[in-house]
Amino acid sequence: MTTPAPPAAPAETETPEPPHDPLRAALPHAAEVSIAADGIPTVRVPLERLLEAIERVRGELGHTRFVDLTAVDRLQREERFELVYLFYSLDQRTWLRLKTRTDAEAPSLTGSVPGANWYERELYDLFGIRFSGHPDLCRIMLPDDWRGHPLRRTEPLGSEPVDFTVTRGVYGTG
Amino acid sequence: MSEQPTAHDAGHGHDHDHGAEQRSGAPGFVLSKLEDWARESSLWPVTFGLACCAIEMMAMSASRFDVARFGSEVFRASPRQADLMIVAGRVAQKMGPVLREVYDQMPEPKWVIAMGDCASCTGVFNNYALIQGVDKIVPVDVYVPGCPPTPDALLDSILKLKQRVAANSRTLRHGLQTPPGPAIPRGAAAAQQPPGV
Amino acid sequence: MAQAELQTPSTSALTTDVEPPRELLTINMGPQHPSTHGVLRLELQLDGEVVVHCRPVIGYLHTGIEKTFEAKTYVQGVVLTDRMDYLNPLGNNLAYALAVEKLVACEIPERATVLRVLLAELTRIASHLMFIGSMALDLGASSPFLYCWREREKILDFFERISGVRMMTSFIRPGGLMRDVDAEALATIGHFVDAMPGYIDSYEELLTGNPIFKERTEGIGVLSADDALALGVSGPTLRAAGLNFDLRKTNPYCGYEAYDFAVPTGTVGDCFDRYLVRVAETRESVKICRQALDRMPGGSVRTTDRKVMPPPKEELAKSMEAVIHHFKLWTEGIRPPAGEAYVGVESPRGELGFYVVSDGSGRPIRVHERAPSFANLQALPKITEGGAVADVVACIATLDPIMGEVDR
Repeated sequence: MTTPAPPAAPAETETPEPPHDPLRAALPHAAEVSIAADGIPTVRVPLERLLEAIERVRGELGHTRFVDLTAVDRLQREERFELVYLFYSLDQRTWLRLKTRTDAEAPSLTGSVPGANWYERELYDLFGIRFSGHPDLCRIMLPDDWRGHPLRRTEPLGSEPVDFTVTRGVYGTG
Repeated sequence: MSEQPTAHDAGHGHDHDHGAEQRSGAPGFVLSKLEDWARESSLWPVTFGLACCAIEMMAMSASRFDVARFGSEVFRASPRQADLMIVAGRVAQKMGPVLREVYDQMPEPKWVIAMGDCASCTGVFNNYALIQGVDKIVPVDVYVPGCPPTPDALLDSILKLKQRVAANSRTLRHGLQTPPGPAIPRGAAAAQQPPGV
Repeated sequence: MAQAELQTPSTSALTTDVEPPRELLTINMGPQHPSTHGVLRLELQLDGEVVVHCRPVIGYLHTGIEKTFEAKTYVQGVVLTDRMDYLNPLGNNLAYALAVEKLVACEIPERATVLRVLLAELTRIASHLMFIGSMALDLGASSPFLYCWREREKILDFFERISGVRMMTSFIRPGGLMRDVDAEALATIGHFVDAMPGYIDSYEELLTGNPIFKERTEGIGVLSADDALALGVSGPTLRAAGLNFDLRKTNPYCGYEAYDFAVPTGTVGDCFDRYLVRVAETRESVKICRQALDRMPGGSVRTTDRKVMPPPKEELAKSMEAVIHHFKLWTEGIRPPAGEAYVGVESPRGELGFYVVSDGSGRPIRVHERAPSFANLQALPKITEGGAVADVVACIATLDPIMGEVDR
């Protein structure tokens, strides 16, 4: 496999030719391939191709090390949550970001990557995304009887109003 | 030293209901003072370090600030053996019941120091995840501001608590917020200060 | 059986043909516990003294920090980062600042970069000192704790000198540093850096050759490199398993490629290796600090990009543009273009990264911290199961989790 040269140092300089080709070759179903502001190649795949794409990323493309899994609430009517997987290649020393969109369900990665276990539980807890095939999908951060998924942007921060006693004493009530 | 006006004298009748001991006569007075002195000289905290404030609490117990010279020789892991709970850190929703359970297991008399902004009022984190101030679940005697408070500030709070304990250590609280204690004398101005400020 | 075994009357009542049912004992360790390094709860199932099953329960320090970020501007967010991994506050600031700087694409002057390296390495030394001290205390040695904290106090004094705060300095911000560091402070910390190798020798004298310490850590809690990678483990735990992977070498940031330092690795991946790796790392960090101090250039510590850092006060009297920039920064804050950025740095616990997503407004729509302890702690069942319950404490101590970043 040819490796066009992304610089090993973080991409502070503009690369004239982003390494799209090996990515597009390995992930033909990718809906979108780009380079983000941090210089990390970012690929978006449809949800049904997710596990297959991850297999390719960890196999052909050599990004075996699982780094991170998180979600972004895009506040869209359909396919609201954007799942963001981050992988790293120990040989090429580069990261690769894999994204997909989902409403509420996604396949679990714990079969091939045991390290994704708690990450998926966290997303279930805070976003409400269910991961099918997860061995132990339950809340991890919040109490088991908590209702709601706080990291959704439609849920409030839950702050309490702060009363300043100083102003009350100086200016009267309120 | 004249006897400081105690919380009993300030008209807080409920304290009598909670079994605060009243000793009569001169021997009773001496015994009470002995009891107060013994308790304030050996406040043993229970290990309740939660977050960043715990690190400064550890610094307080290390050699530079050395809380052992003030009587807190050991931090007891078992609440049954401790009489002071320094809530050092933010109290999450999951941790609240645990905090209350540990507090309940401490034998009377016991005191609580809310160390840091998070324990006092959640400080920076005014959100869904934290209990907004530990005084919502346990009665607090001293609040220490800071994020985190320096070990000096925490030592100061322990010294203030010791003054309060030395004045009257027999008030049992059983879940009530501590009533205003006797005035903490601040040098020459002590005589002019009204009590209970 | 016809030929009965010779049994003395006293034992005949004790021996039976039927195997007694094996019962596993479930005990709970934490969240309030002196040796769980914070509010970590473990559900342990024991078969006698052997840990059959270990299930960590986290969330007792969940602070909703990631949600709070969405309500704050980018600079206000720096304050929150300090409190995530609270033993590495400047490192958290650095990772977050680098991520935001990727979004806004601004240039950081060299003095700020070198100072960032100095501060990050001093924080690493402070964190590892805490590790050595608390690990020794967990295993029953109380003197190293006091020795390590004596040195930690010197580092915290330096932080207090430059920023006014001992721990949560919020000193490294998007666009540079909060303010400059004066030469006298640098000289003082220079003396400390020079004396530090001697101090590390004294800790090693107490612990590394100590037969009790070695018996309690050698061969305990072995984690192989393959298992570590599968679980997402990084940092000294991964290096102790034998894999030479340090982000400061593989993906250098802040000019780390110009510094001369080694990356210590272990061989077996047991608790003793994890301890040795961190002690060796402390020595390497001291070297980096010395190099940073030697090459400290002059100049400003803030970017000249006025959309990120405010103009100096003197300019406000002379330039209308400066006033407008100042006004915009104080009312709207930094407004990076819509996009996302992830920057991974090497924290004392492993790969620490901040994933910041912007929609072009003054507040991020998502900030996620890739916390190294969150992944590292998933390895705890792996290293404790099959071992004795008395070794669980050593295993937790050498994984060095910080619950603030695990639960966020």
